[in-house]
Amino acid sequence: MARVFYENVYKRWKETVAVKDFTLEIADKEFLVLVGPSGSGKSTALRLLAGLDSISDGKIYIGDRVINDVAPKDRDIAMVFQTYALYPHMSVHDNVGFGLRLRKMPKDQIHEKVVQAAQVLGIEPLLDRKPGQLSGGQRQRVALARAIVREPEVFLLDEPLSNLDAKLRVQTRAEISKLHQRLGTTFIYVTHDQVEAMTMATQIAVMNFGVIQQVGTPQFLYDHPTNIFVAGFIGSPSMNFFEVTVTGDADQVRLVDDNGLSLPVPAEKRRALESYRDKKIVFGIRPEDIHDPNFVPPETEVAPFDAEVEVTELMGNEVFLHLAHGETKFLARVDPRTVAKQGIKMELMVSMDNMHVFDFESEQRIFTPEEEGKVELDRSVEEEPAEEQVARRQSEVPQDQADQD
Amino acid sequence: MKRGPYPAGPEGESRGDLQDEAFEDEEVRDEKEGSPEYPFGPPPAEEEGTGARLARAVGRGPLHAVIIGISILWMIPALGLLVSSFRERQAITRTGWWRAFTTPTEFTIQNYQDVLTGQGMGTAFINSVIITVPATILTVMVAALAAYAFAWMPLPGRNWWFLLVVALMVVPIQLTLIPVLRLFADLGLTGTYWGIWLAHAAYGLPLGVFLLRNFFVALPKDLLESAFLEGASHTTAFFRIVLPLSVPSLAALGIFQFLWVWNDLLIALVYLGGTRDVAPMTVVISNLVSSFGTEWHLLTAAAFVSVILPLAIFFALQRYFVQGLLAGAVKG
Repeated sequence: MARVFYENVYKRWKETVAVKDFTLEIADKEFLVLVGPSGSGKSTALRLLAGLDSISDGKIYIGDRVINDVAPKDRDIAMVFQTYALYPHMSVHDNVGFGLRLRKMPKDQIHEKVVQAAQVLGIEPLLDRKPGQLSGGQRQRVALARAIVREPEVFLLDEPLSNLDAKLRVQTRAEISKLHQRLGTTFIYVTHDQVEAMTMATQIAVMNFGVIQQVGTPQFLYDHPTNIFVAGFIGSPSMNFFEVTVTGDADQVRLVDDNGLSLPVPAEKRRALESYRDKKIVFGIRPEDIHDPNFVPPETEVAPFDAEVEVTELMGNEVFLHLAHGETKFLARVDPRTVAKQGIKMELMVSMDNMHVFDFESEQRIFTPEEEGKVELDRSVEEEPAEEQVARRQSEVPQDQADQD
Repeated sequence: MKRGPYPAGPEGESRGDLQDEAFEDEEVRDEKEGSPEYPFGPPPAEEEGTGARLARAVGRGPLHAVIIGISILWMIPALGLLVSSFRERQAITRTGWWRAFTTPTEFTIQNYQDVLTGQGMGTAFINSVIITVPATILTVMVAALAAYAFAWMPLPGRNWWFLLVVALMVVPIQLTLIPVLRLFADLGLTGTYWGIWLAHAAYGLPLGVFLLRNFFVALPKDLLESAFLEGASHTTAFFRIVLPLSVPSLAALGIFQFLWVWNDLLIALVYLGGTRDVAPMTVVISNLVSSFGTEWHLLTAAAFVSVILPLAIFFALQRYFVQGLLAGAVKG
């Protein structure tokens, strides 16, 4: 029973504000990923919960207890550090059992628990070694074992994969997900890598400049980014943006720009754009929603779009086209059978069903999910038990997404 | 115009970290990791052929020759002293020490017997040990405790206090002799071992605190934070984590302090007095020089008696200077 609740939390370092009005509820058994670029305050938010930095303002609850003034060791949390923070002078066994020893647990009981934790992570044969004799992946496991051996209410993981090589990272990602399912404990995971966030989280909180931008399931954030920042951050390769003007009347709304772009807006999305007539907005489209005219998926509402091909990258199962439209560079992810040569002008099809539009000034999303006719809402998702989300999530995330590293 | 894309690729995460010194050190280490030879990961395993190793040894030949040359040059006088200390008085005055090897029968240990028993070097040796060992241990212990506080305990104005301690290093010892002697007289510490232990510890602390604090601060921050999260108090963190990982720096400070106290004449003379039953070897040797200025056979033997222990200590601890005890603490 470990709900974590940040209530209007602030962290200030002299003049700079690292975390600003941070309010976030993390349900029991959730796998929450805090994601954001460097310096966005995500690590600080985690350290406030761990008690490694003091809270300037606001309250943090674990369960029903306010933990602002509780010592780190009494918060019933365990943390895995980016650098693993293993004690180099102790054996793996003593590293894992260190916390238990400090809690004055009898020796044989410690041994039993250490061996159990080691079995879970498959490091039993390494128990007598020193951390210096282990590979990066093995050290990572020891750090995880040290965290789980104390059976804490909440796990904190601070960029635990960023020191592993790409292959090991993909592997460990899956293992941490499995560990979460197995333990059924709240996990809070900090990363700057949106792929990790998409693949592991039941809930993602995107941060920038110390402020939470959006909270939701990975799929929801992908489909309904609330502002330009989230739209550009979630998804790889990231979304393309174009400055356009809204023109036309009630029957025929179009997005146009100075370079001859003219995209018709689908009927069900026109109403939301009414108040923007003759104004500038930002039009966003993901690379995978731009198609070669010959390979448009069936039942997609598309609009033509001219661009010059600058570079083509064949990935095997798809082709990345680096394109230029006037001054704007953008990226399309098209069918591998596409014939495109450097320097040619080609017509592309944009899937307007998946268009995103943002206010030019505030950079906020213009459509609300209801207006787009999509039923799945942020709130309704939160009611769903975490276990089901874990299971669902794994079928949801596209496989090629997971391999982008 | 394209807005974005916003940075989403892998990039180093920098915390808003206030531990400047610790942070700087980390950066230095990072630079080393990303050495130009192996920018993408750890260096390949050390499996070079004999040829390559030979080529490298030859390439370094000139450097080694210079180093060995300087070392030999440096050791010749000491060797001369050592040889002379085993020669009879007449032999020393008659020929140079390098001639000694032509007549091996001349060697004798009589000089050492004379110095140790007749001239009181034996008692002085014991006195030196009694003075030096506790003074060294006291300094290292107190310096380690203070350095831990300066490095890891959140105290108001911590860095200013540290600066003050470091500033004490510039105060000349001679300046303090009279006030401290008066204080010792009031406390009844003059001429006692306690007095000289405290004096040496006090004079050694600024450097010791400075040295150890900078080492402690450079320990990975995560290591201590992890310990605190697991329930360690400052005492536990100090004894279980910081001390075991700082053995090289503790040994370094120990050697410095040991040599300084062992070779000290001034402080011993001022606070302890020159009486025979408490005088350390430095005092006895200086007396020998003034009363037996021409008795080379005695002086050389006395000198060697006085360097035996420091030499032994140095060789015993020197491996800590080169040992990287931190290997495996963090990825690297």
